Amino acid sequence: MSRIVILGAGIAGHVAASHLRRKLPKEHEVVVVSPNSNYQWIPSNIWVGIGRMKPKDILFPLAPLYAKKHIDYKQAKAISFYPEGDAEEVKPYVLAEYVAGANKGTTEKVMYDYLINATGPKLNFEATEGLSPGKNKTHSVCTYTHADEAWNALNDLIQQMKQGKKAKILIGTGHPKATCQGAAFEYILNVEQELRRHKVRDMAQITWISNEYHLGDFGMDGMLMSYGSNIMKSSEMVEMIFEDRGISWILGAGVNKIEDGVAQYETLEGDYKTESYDFAMLIPSFSGHGFKAYNKGGEDITNKLFKGFMIVDADYTPKPYEEWSVQDWPETYQNPSYPNIFAPGIAFAPPHGISKPRQSKNGTDITPAPPRTGMPSGITAKLVADNIIEMIKHSNNELHHKGSMGNMGAACIASAGFGMTKGSGVSITTYPIVPDYNKYPDTQGRKLGKTFGTIGLAGHWLKLALHHAFIYKAKMKPFWWLIPE
Amino acid sequence: MTRRISKYKRFLMMNPIIQFFKFIYLSIKIMIVVAGGHGGTREIN
Repeated sequence: MSRIVILGAGIAGHVAASHLRRKLPKEHEVVVVSPNSNYQWIPSNIWVGIGRMKPKDILFPLAPLYAKKHIDYKQAKAISFYPEGDAEEVKPYVLAEYVAGANKGTTEKVMYDYLINATGPKLNFEATEGLSPGKNKTHSVCTYTHADEAWNALNDLIQQMKQGKKAKILIGTGHPKATCQGAAFEYILNVEQELRRHKVRDMAQITWISNEYHLGDFGMDGMLMSYGSNIMKSSEMVEMIFEDRGISWILGAGVNKIEDGVAQYETLEGDYKTESYDFAMLIPSFSGHGFKAYNKGGEDITNKLFKGFMIVDADYTPKPYEEWSVQDWPETYQNPSYPNIFAPGIAFAPPHGISKPRQSKNGTDITPAPPRTGMPSGITAKLVADNIIEMIKHSNNELHHKGSMGNMGAACIASAGFGMTKGSGVSITTYPIVPDYNKYPDTQGRKLGKTFGTIGLAGHWLKLALHHAFIYKAKMKPFWWLIPE
Repeated sequence: MTRRISKYKRFLMMNPIIQFFKFIYLSIKIMIVVAGGHGGTREIN
C-alpha cells in the first residue's frame, strides 16, 4: 500500500488527485492537504471582476467531492518538509497545520510515500509597498474574493461616472518582475467592454501598465503567429486591439510603490514616474511560500528542496539569455535529491525566464517572470500522477511520462468581453510554450500554424465552453477523464 | 480611439453564423495543439 500526499487543491493538485484516485486501486491512499475549502476555476475570475459571474459560478466545495471519491482531505496548510523523517519518524512527512474545523491550529505530521507539491504561488503583494487588494484603490482578480471586491469597487465607479465623474482606470502588473499578464490583458478588455455596456466609456481613460518590453510579450518573449492568411507578431495584434479599443499603454514599467490613487514606477530608461487612477487592478509578483525543510538530524536542508519554488529536474546553471535552451526546462518535475517528491504546475522553480531579461539604467530588473497557466499546470500534474502510478505498480523508479514546456502546446483563450452576441475573445495558441530557437529558427522559436491567433465572438463562446467543461471535469462527473487537460 | 479593425472585419468577427463555424474549427484546432501530445526535449531520437 502506498500513500500519496498532494499539497494544494488548485488546478495541478486537483488534476493529480483525481487521476491518481481513478487509476490506483483503493488500497492506495490519496491525501489532499489544502488550506482552501473550495476548488475555484481561476481563469473565470475575470468575469467575477466585472460582475458577469458570481463566485458561486466558479467554485465548489472540495470536502463533499473528496468524501464521495474516497480522497482523504485535510483542510490544512503545509509548514515544513521532512523528506527523511526525523529522530522519531522513519517515514518522510510534511508538517501541516489545520486552518478550519475542530482541529484548527493543531499540527499533524502527514506521512507520505510520494509527495506532490502543487502549492502554486504565494501572491506576494508585500513585495510592492502599498499594493494590497481593496486598499489605495487597487484591486486584484487573483482569487474569487479579490475579484468580487474588484467588481464592487468598479461598479461604484461606474455609478459615479453615470453621474458625470471622469475616471482613470489603470490595469496591468504591480511589480517589476510580475507575471500573469494574460489575466490583466483579459481584464482590461472586459472592463472596457463593460464601460461601453453601461454607456460610460467616454467618461473613462483606460491605461495598460506593464513590465513587458513589447505589448503582447505575456512573459513568453512574445510570439510570431499565424493570423488568418498573414503572419503577425503578438505585439502587433495587441497594439491593434488596444488602439481599436482606445486603450493607452505604458511599457517597461516596474511598479514599486502604491499610494492612494497613485502608482509609482521606474522605467527602463531609469526615470521615476507616477500614474494616477481612480480604479486599478494590478497583478502582484508571485513567489514561493517560504517553506523550510529539515533532514533526519533536524538540520536545515531547505536549499535541497527549494530555490524560491521547488527544485526539480531543470538545469539551474546561471547562463546568459543567448545560451538559454529548451533543454534547461524540466521534463518530469521530480526533485533530484528526493525522487519521491514532485512539483508540477506553478510550484516548480523555473530555470530562468522566457522573456529577454532587461534592467533599468538604475540596475532594477524589469522583466516578466515566466507564466505557467492552467493548461501546462494540468498537463504536468497528470504526467506526474502517471509516473507515480507506474512507480507504484512496477516498483521501479523509471519515469516514462515526460512533458517539457519546450515540447508542449498551450491555448490562451483570452476573453475580450462578455456576452453571447456582443462578447469577444482573443484566441491564441502557442507551440511550444518555451521557444525552441534551434527547431524553429525562422519563426522566433515557435511552429507557425500551431501558434496562431484570432479574434471574435467564437473566442468568447470557446472560453465559456471551457469554463463549463473544466468545472464538469473538476467535479469528476461521468467520463470526466475524456476531457483533456 | 483609432479604428484598426475595418467594418467588414468586425462584421466577420461578430456574425453569429460565421462565428459558429469558427467555434467548431477553433475547438478542433485547439484540441489538436493542446491534446496533440507532449514530451521531453533532452533525448534525441
